[in-house]
Order: sequence, then structure tokens, then C-alpha cells
Amino acid sequence: MSKGKLVKDVMVDVFDFPHIPYWFSMRQAIGIIKKSLLGSEKCHYPMAVLVFDEKYNLLGTVSLKEILKGLEPKFLKSTTKAQVHEEDESGLSVLWDTLFKESREAAERPVSEVMVPTKLFVKPEDPLTKAAYLMIHNEMALLPVLEDKKKFVGLVRMVEVFNELSDAVMTA
Amino acid sequence: MINADKDKIVDRDKPQKLYVQLYEILRKKIENNEWPVGSQIPVEEDFCKTYEVSKATVRLAVLELARQGYLMRQQGKGTFVCKRIIPEGLTMSASFKELMLEKGIAFSTKVLAQTVMMPADDLDLKLDITEDNHIIYIKRLRMVDNEPVLLQETYIPHHICPPLLQEDVTDNSLFELFEKKHGITITMVKDFIEVAHSKPDESKLLGLPNDSPVLLLEQLFFSGDTQIMYTRSIKRPDRFRISIEFKKKQYG
Repeated sequence: MSKGKLVKDVMVDVFDFPHIPYWFSMRQAIGIIKKSLLGSEKCHYPMAVLVFDEKYNLLGTVSLKEILKGLEPKFLKSTTKAQVHEEDESGLSVLWDTLFKESREAAERPVSEVMVPTKLFVKPEDPLTKAAYLMIHNEMALLPVLEDKKKFVGLVRMVEVFNELSDAVMTA
Repeated sequence: MINADKDKIVDRDKPQKLYVQLYEILRKKIENNEWPVGSQIPVEEDFCKTYEVSKATVRLAVLELARQGYLMRQQGKGTFVCKRIIPEGLTMSASFKELMLEKGIAFSTKVLAQTVMMPADDLDLKLDITEDNHIIYIKRLRMVDNEPVLLQETYIPHHICPPLLQEDVTDNSLFELFEKKHGITITMVKDFIEVAHSKPDESKLLGLPNDSPVLLLEQLFFSGDTQIMYTRSIKRPDRFRISIEFKKKQYG
């Protein structure tokens, strides 16, 4: 049996994804998400923006979920399910007005406060199964590929992992 | 009505904005005397049909031509080709060296950032690129005798020169890297100088009280028709004197 696919066989170019530095505000990130991800004719999967430091080291990723989470007003965050009466949804719709004032202020905060930090990565020579394992057990749709633990050379997406592994299973 | 040659059509695959392309096409028609001085140019609808662009695109192109002195709009009458006020003989070309300010002064440089970003705010307009283009961002602090005097932020579309992301920009001027190492010749620089007020982070880096008056120099660099760089320099006004030297163009 062959060794199977490696990470480098399926990884995609880092420039397929929008880049921002960590000091960008969420407002700036929203602008970029709208223009580069949502407004583009190209299909972006997963919808994520890569966050870098001053020396072009990858720090993390930001997706629509992180932005929404970052804009969420504090009083909503503290509300746990147990505290909300199930029938009482009127409270949430009334919040709409007040929500935007607080959220507008929140939008000026840097993306570094809301991004998902990159802690895990794979090497180009790693087997694809390792990437699959990391993605499944850490709920990641995107996994960075680093060469010599430093140089950021590509990304593995869940869609390629899915295609390769499901093909292998189906033809086995 | 309008003569649209094969090579003079608007190309949607080009990175250049449509109105800029249309501007160039129309400017050539005027410069080639296809539309002589005093003649009326066709109406917007004709342009839309010939070049398959929107009215907004036509309007922007015509507006830019009017701004540059090629066209004159007369209320209720139409738009006419006019005699440009700037006679060619007065066009000056400056020698770049004098404009660079990096030259002749013994700077020491600290690279604060060399990374990649997308065009936030109005950077896409300043660099004349589309919104999904990556940009190399370089931020440098220049010092004389260990005293910060100049904060320089440079934006280069990534596709223009990808290696610049890795190159040493501490001692090398970008200008020299472009011309000597990458064979990209800079053919034109547009400078915009104004007095501005320093932002908190800029004040801190330059060692100035917040909101201090500073010299803001914005530069657009071109290689032929392509814009390759945008630089924003914040200078301590007490440490700079701007000197620009012009050389008259040689004719004949």
C-alpha cells in the first residue's frame, strides 16, 4: 500500500486567504470580510481571515463567528440559558437599539482580542491523517502548515481532508 | 459614432479600474487630435454603448479629464475639448534623488513592521488596486543620532514584488531594491505635502507630545502606467527642510 497523501499534496496557498495585522480594528476587519470574502466571486471556504504580527508570523484566524462574538454586548454575554425564560424572547428584540451603540464601540477594539490563536500546526511532510486528527479533535476547519516550525507555507482545509480521506475509504 | 479600435476597449480582467481605462482611451483621442480642441464630445449614452460600461464609469472618466484640463463642461450645452492651460514646455521632471530624502542623510533605521495586509479604509484607491489584493506593509522609524525624526509607512501591492516581504529593508532603500535588484524602474512620483497632527502612536514613536504638528508627505510611485507603491511619511518639522530640484525636460 502506498504511504498515502501528505499535507504538502493538498495544502492551499496562504494568499488564497485575506491577511490582516493584529492591530486592525474589528471595524476594519469587517470591511475586509465584506469586500474580500462575501463580495468576491470566488468561493471562500472556510470564511476566515488570517491574522499576522509585525514580522509576518501567523497569530490566529478570524471568522464571522469571532466578529459576531466580539460585537456582542456584555449583558448578553452574561446571560446564560438558565436565566432566560424560554417564552421571553421580547427582551432580546428590544435590545437591538442599545446593542448597536455598545457594539459600535466594541468594533474599535483590535482583532487580536477576538481571534482564535493558532496553537496547532502541521509540517509539509506530515501525513494527511495527522492533519485530519488535529482538525477533528480541535474543531478546526483550517490548519496552518509550517516549514521548520517557522516559515508559514500553506494551509490545510477540512474540505481537502474530507475529499482525500473519503475517497480512500470509498475505494478501499 | 465613436471609433472604438480593437486595442482601445475597456478590459474587465485588467486590475486597473474601468474609469481609469476609459480615461486613458479618451485622453488618447484628445491627444491624437481625433477630437480637436473646441469639438463637443458624444453624450454619456454613446460611451456606455460603445465601451459597454455604466454611466457612473463614464462620468468619472469625464470628470477626471475635466480636472486635468482636457475637457470643459458647459451647463446645458455639453462637454467640449479645451486647450490645456499647462503648456508642455513647462512640464518639469525632478531628479528622484533629491525627492527621496533618504539620500544624503545618515539615517539609522528600525524596521517596526514588515508584514501583509488587505486594503483597509481607502488604501485600494490610494494604490489603485482591487479590494482583494494583498499588500506588503513596511513600517520604519528613521533616526539621526539615535533621535527619531521620521516615521515611514510603505504599502506595495504584493503581486508587484513578492520578495520584498522577506528582503532586508533596514539599510536598503526600497527605491534601490526596486530598480537594482528587481528591475522595476520607477518612472514617476507624485508627492503630496501637508501639515498634519500626530496620532498617539506616531507621537510616541517620534518622541513628540500628542497632537503635535508634523509634516506629512504622501508619495505615489509609478512604473509606467502601473502604480507600484504608496508611502506615508511623518516627519518632525523641526528636523526637515524640504528641497526639491527640478530639471527641465529636453525637447527635440
